[in-house]
Amino acid sequence: MSDRSQALPTPEGEYFESNRFAGLSVLLGSVALVALAFSVVGAMIDPHQFSFSWLFAFGFFFTLCAGCFFWIIVHYATDADWSVVVRRQLENIACLLAVMAVFFVPVLFLRHHLYDWLNIPPGKEAALDSKRAYLNWNFFVVRAIVFFGLFVLASQLLRRFSVRQDKDGNQQFTIWMRKIAFASLPMFALCLTFGACDWLMSLNYRWFSTMWGVYIFAGAAGSSMSLLVLVITALRSAGYFKNVVTVEHYHIMGKWMFAFCVFWAYIGFSQYMLIWYGNLPEETQYFLVRNTESWWTLSMLLVIGRFFGPFAILLLRSIKKQPHRLCYVAGWIVFMQMLDMYIIVLPALHGTGVHVSIWDFVSLVAIGATLGFVYLQIVAKASLFPMRDPRLIESLKLTN
Amino acid sequence: MAAEYPSAAALYEAAKVVRDAGFKRWDVHSPYPIHGMDEAMGLKKSWLSAVVLAGGISGLLTAATMEFGPSSFLYPLTVHGKPTNFFTVPAFFPIMFELTILFSAFAAFFAMFIMNGLPRLHHPIFNWERFSRATNDAFFLVIEARDPRFTEIEARNLLEKSGGQHITIIHED
Repeated sequence: MSDRSQALPTPEGEYFESNRFAGLSVLLGSVALVALAFSVVGAMIDPHQFSFSWLFAFGFFFTLCAGCFFWIIVHYATDADWSVVVRRQLENIACLLAVMAVFFVPVLFLRHHLYDWLNIPPGKEAALDSKRAYLNWNFFVVRAIVFFGLFVLASQLLRRFSVRQDKDGNQQFTIWMRKIAFASLPMFALCLTFGACDWLMSLNYRWFSTMWGVYIFAGAAGSSMSLLVLVITALRSAGYFKNVVTVEHYHIMGKWMFAFCVFWAYIGFSQYMLIWYGNLPEETQYFLVRNTESWWTLSMLLVIGRFFGPFAILLLRSIKKQPHRLCYVAGWIVFMQMLDMYIIVLPALHGTGVHVSIWDFVSLVAIGATLGFVYLQIVAKASLFPMRDPRLIESLKLTN
Repeated sequence: MAAEYPSAAALYEAAKVVRDAGFKRWDVHSPYPIHGMDEAMGLKKSWLSAVVLAGGISGLLTAATMEFGPSSFLYPLTVHGKPTNFFTVPAFFPIMFELTILFSAFAAFFAMFIMNGLPRLHHPIFNWERFSRATNDAFFLVIEARDPRFTEIEARNLLEKSGGQHITIIHED
């Protein structure tokens, strides 16, 4: 409302004081270095187990970063105004996709441990030979380069334009970013779908699911919104975003968490039910491994913990309007995304039951600490919210 | 008693004044939703969500009863080699999902009907000629005479103080 906007002055930008958090930065940097060194050791002494652990950690963090990229392009494509104040943090996290591209290199080196289809010579297996036009090493590498090239290019451009708009407030940048967003929407859908098929589904080259890309997307979008809640709350508790991010923004973020909690269940169930009902051996093998032995417990935990629990809790409006309570749910959903990725990747190695390895943790810490370290470097480089965005005032006085 | 206001902002401020004066049976009319008006009018959370939740749960239970009752207890029939016990639940989920939504939608629809006092063919406010612009470009605030605090003088003073124009008493017939 016009009269309410007069009460709010156009805020100055807020800057993350990196010297206040130098200790955290050094800590994360050194933890990352140690964990990366251990990862090299792991790749040497136990390459088979390590390659699956690394892919699990890679998949978890990649979906979080790609999900944040998705929220940026949706923000521009729909001309949203509520998300202006939180958009810079989405940009910062999406920029980490460049780091994820580097972390994909070990997967290429460890490919013979991960992907059986690389080890079977042509002519041995008819089921594989009919897929060779797609599943071959050269095409796999080309695709990976294209996927990461597009992701990194688009996320860097979006952040760069957004930061330049902070300086002069030129509205032309908003129009350019909207164009990038429209080009990115189909690009994102195709890259994430085929990336998910390449890197995760082809762990078992006999298995296929047409729901796979959407399933990975649903997990990525919901968990990255939860990650955003955590990041914003962390910054708020450090004293930033006072009078900028309000309960109303939390309410909307909570509603998105809820929506994607339902969407994840919808997609996951659609995939499961068709395979369960059709009962074809080449399709059921994926779920047979994950529904038997000790994997069954984890699968049940995922179904209940990723859908039924958060669904019931997020139905309450009071939870969505209380940042600290919403944070518990958000943290839980991010943890469930990790579990989801664990159930996707690790049964391909340990088909007979859960076998937790030290390398799972080392990979998680290595990638997570590195991303945290790089994030702390990026976040200090620009204002914490886009201070000259033409929609900033509308976002600040959000009510819903 | 009704008054017209020149803008949504003026209506918003007027709503706060009437709210603070302690009136209960009154309403505002504008061509579009005004953000923050609930708070300005002092409205509490509507009980619609509770009705919808009840509708949803009864839909879910109806589906579960109608599916597991016959298929697991009254006349168990093995289809496609699937079990007839609880573990056949994936086949039942779509119906549970649909009935949950259907019953919630019905609950929301009929509860809205009751809350809005529908069906109602006429309202005295339409006797006022200016009011036909409520769906076009005008903003109105109406205090009903059945409000326990209502006195003609007090209501008129309040509406005048809050910047209302064309203050009018609207009669039943």
